[in-house]
Amino acid sequence: MQPDGILKDGHFYGFWCGDKLPNVYLHENTPDSKVNISELAAGKKVIIVGVPGAFTPCCSKDYVPDFISDCGKYKSKGVDEIVCISVNDPYVMAAWGKDLNAGGKVRMLADGNGAFTKALGLEKDFTDTLGTSSSRCKRFSMYAEDGVVKKLFVEPDGHSVTCSKSENLLSQL
Amino acid sequence: MPVKSGDKLPSVDLYENSPASKVNIAELTAGKKVIIFGVPGAFTPGCSKTHLPGYVSDFDKFKSKGVDEIVCVSVNDPFVMAAWGKEHSADGKVRMLADTNGAFTKAMDLEKDLTGPLGSIRCQRFSMLVEDGVVKTANVEPDGTGLTCSLSNSLLSQL
Repeated sequence: MQPDGILKDGHFYGFWCGDKLPNVYLHENTPDSKVNISELAAGKKVIIVGVPGAFTPCCSKDYVPDFISDCGKYKSKGVDEIVCISVNDPYVMAAWGKDLNAGGKVRMLADGNGAFTKALGLEKDFTDTLGTSSSRCKRFSMYAEDGVVKKLFVEPDGHSVTCSKSENLLSQL
Repeated sequence: MPVKSGDKLPSVDLYENSPASKVNIAELTAGKKVIIFGVPGAFTPGCSKTHLPGYVSDFDKFKSKGVDEIVCVSVNDPFVMAAWGKEHSADGKVRMLADTNGAFTKAMDLEKDLTGPLGSIRCQRFSMLVEDGVVKTANVEPDGTGLTCSLSNSLLSQL
């Protein structure tokens, strides 16, 4: 099986539909609060959304807010949780979630050192604009059941908002 | 050697609000009296509850002592820095400048490995008074993160 929404130039990412989510820890609110993503997803229907950066215009204006406002629609399709990840520290992610009123709708999980992003094969170099010693995450959205990826949409250029937007993922469920 | 009194500030670009908006720190401080303070991370508890708010609320006191500008620096991207400044009503008081790739922090030899909690090399907490691009006073926290000598009231008393 191939990931959906991947690219025109024939390049495939390392992570394909049918793969199990990697066994990686993310952090929620503080560096002490670990969340294992494969444990979170076990036995559940989960949406995971990845973005290049907290507080960046594109991610903040429409992208994540759409998943927040579509929370009710996802729930009616049986989704148990919606998670947003980014290569930012947990304090930044928590502040961003508060700014977007994500509480109770989308869990903001920090991929602080990019381990989850790397395990998914979705790293992108945004060093010029966003810095950090590790690469950031390409914009993507996925649907997983019991820890297995069923739908995966990765933006071809890594940052635009096309195939990975909430409206598109919802229509696929 | 970490930055100290008598050093000239390095000519490094920082970023304000967006990656497109460059601010050269040496140019910013030329001919002026500037306070620069550095923090390990935007939105982290110590930086948010005490360090930044102190400088925001002491803005007028610094102005009355002839300070032209107050600048806050952190190894974060400019979008995060701008959002953090907005949360603390820093506008017009403290300029939030992003040391996006840590170049300024490295040039001043103030790096601290906070990869565990924050995911990357960050800046030690410090404060300094700079006059015409030359460091007059530099206060670097002994452990890099504490809230002692680099606080606003401490620097004010040195002016």
